[in-house]
Amino acid sequence: MLTKQVTKEELLIVTAARQIKNGDVVALGIGMPILAGAVAKKTHAPEAVLLMESGIVDFEPCVLPVNVADATCTRGYGYAVDLFGVFTTIAYAGYLDKAFLGVGQIDKYGNLNTSFLGTPPAAQRITAAGGAPEFYAYAKETILTMKGKGFVEKLPYMTSPGYLGGGDEREKSGRYTPGSGPSILITPKGIFKFHPETREMYLDALFPGVGVDEVRADIPWDLKIADPLGSFPVPQDEEIVFLRRLSPVSSFSNTTGKELAMAHIRKQMEEKAAGR
Amino acid sequence: MKNCRPSKVMTAHEAVSRYVHDGDSVITGNYTEGLPFSLLFEIIRQRKKGLTYYSQSGSADVEFMVAGDCVDKLCTAFLHKWGGRTAGGMVERYQRAGKLQVEDYSNFTYNARLAAGANGYSFMPVLPSIMDSDVFKIRDYMGENKFGVVRCPFTGREIPVVPAANPDVCLLHVQRADKHGNAQHWGGLGSTVHACLASKTIIVSCEELVDFDVIKSSPHHTIVPGFRVSAVIEEPYGCHPSELPGYRNPDMTMLRFIDNSFSSDEGLRSMFDEWVYGLPDRASYIKHYIDVFGVESLNRYRARSYYSAPADYGVAFESGWDTYGQALLLGVDMAGLEQLIAEKGDLVDVN
Repeated sequence: MLTKQVTKEELLIVTAARQIKNGDVVALGIGMPILAGAVAKKTHAPEAVLLMESGIVDFEPCVLPVNVADATCTRGYGYAVDLFGVFTTIAYAGYLDKAFLGVGQIDKYGNLNTSFLGTPPAAQRITAAGGAPEFYAYAKETILTMKGKGFVEKLPYMTSPGYLGGGDEREKSGRYTPGSGPSILITPKGIFKFHPETREMYLDALFPGVGVDEVRADIPWDLKIADPLGSFPVPQDEEIVFLRRLSPVSSFSNTTGKELAMAHIRKQMEEKAAGR
Repeated sequence: MKNCRPSKVMTAHEAVSRYVHDGDSVITGNYTEGLPFSLLFEIIRQRKKGLTYYSQSGSADVEFMVAGDCVDKLCTAFLHKWGGRTAGGMVERYQRAGKLQVEDYSNFTYNARLAAGANGYSFMPVLPSIMDSDVFKIRDYMGENKFGVVRCPFTGREIPVVPAANPDVCLLHVQRADKHGNAQHWGGLGSTVHACLASKTIIVSCEELVDFDVIKSSPHHTIVPGFRVSAVIEEPYGCHPSELPGYRNPDMTMLRFIDNSFSSDEGLRSMFDEWVYGLPDRASYIKHYIDVFGVESLNRYRARSYYSAPADYGVAFESGWDTYGQALLLGVDMAGLEQLIAEKGDLVDVN
């Protein structure tokens, strides 16, 4: 049932949450993935094993963390391992069902750039590699999320290889978990998937109020469109209520959220200065 | 007898002036949480120069160190985008201006360099997919030595490898330590142990100094043994505004305030003058925080306790004698043992 008003940000988080199945072992990064994991675990996937690359395994987010070893995630968790062990004994050994990755730039075969918008050192930095290259290579499946309009014909820097040149190139290289790679990309405009043979990205579903042309405008190649288009998941009250309880600021865009938080801090400082 | 377990307790000022030298390589041991800000601020105040800084998490720690003009080279796996999407933080501004060399690894390959260093190997195998990534192909100051490729003698397959990293100094903040340097930490483990054990000198700051009795009743929490540690600083709030399980959440008020100051060079400089150069030590930093934001703000982020179930390390016997005074395996008392020795022992004349 849905009686609440829903924001764009909330719809994205719920769409990501629905990708997790009960019992999955899932690697989460900071931001939308954590929120998605928390919502899934609280609603349809209570037995999912959520983990972060700092080695916090089988935890239940109760507050929005700001980093991957955040103390807010260590109040009760099942398994404390180190980062090295996460990538070797869990991911490379084949026990990681899903990884969530945030995307800076992506090409049509799901190769990712999270490092530089050009050639280093002069180029503007995105962030850096973090855990992305190895999670992307060794999780059985990866769910991608992208806030910006980072579709490009050719990546200036390939941080994390996806389907490489498409087709069976990734499989044939022998450097990746067999059958692994991105299954879905979620952006504010819609949901994208990858063709099972060519591995080329196509548009699978649109979010409300978005037309195909608006999606095409961001994409420098001739994007293929599913026929018929799929649908987006309609959030339920249970998901929205829990999400707001977990992270009240996450119903807003990053910019609006930051502005609201900074206004609150200024008020706090003024009150302190005025001796109240 | 010489005291072989001396107290290593000192102030942050003493530890940094004694153990951190211009040109050293310095690593932040903590992985994203518990960042040792008190020690970092001290390095900046002492205006150390020419450092190679290892910061896997690339949070405010690296921004401060770079803005303090302490760092020439940075080895990292992630950089938080302080100051927003386009502006970027000091790392990015310095790198683009050619004032800072940055070598980018992934979290795993960065950690693998420390794992090699900690274990005494000269290199460490890493996972093969990295060879398709520009992390492997694009190289900064490490050049040819950023990655190598070897052939497995058993399977014949190509394996990418990274060289060991052995930083000169590791800075570590923990929940508790004793005066000898036995350091106990719990929470996200990250690459913290590898960072410490790969380093030549380890400086530990802790929220609380405790007796060895506390350490020995919970040895699974000791991540660095005292014999590896050079200095111990009792420094409550030593990692503020970053967080520490059992003590506090991230101080979002201060972190937002810092983030906001990155929006302009002036904002950053004035924040630096006020919070780093303007305050001699951690106690005055916390006092200043209270003056600016109020003690209520500090207390809002304080942790409410959630204790670990005690692990029972008890044993049946505490000597070779059971609780009834019987010798283990022999079933006799002390008089019986001496009689057995007289009868069956291979006696020697030592007089």
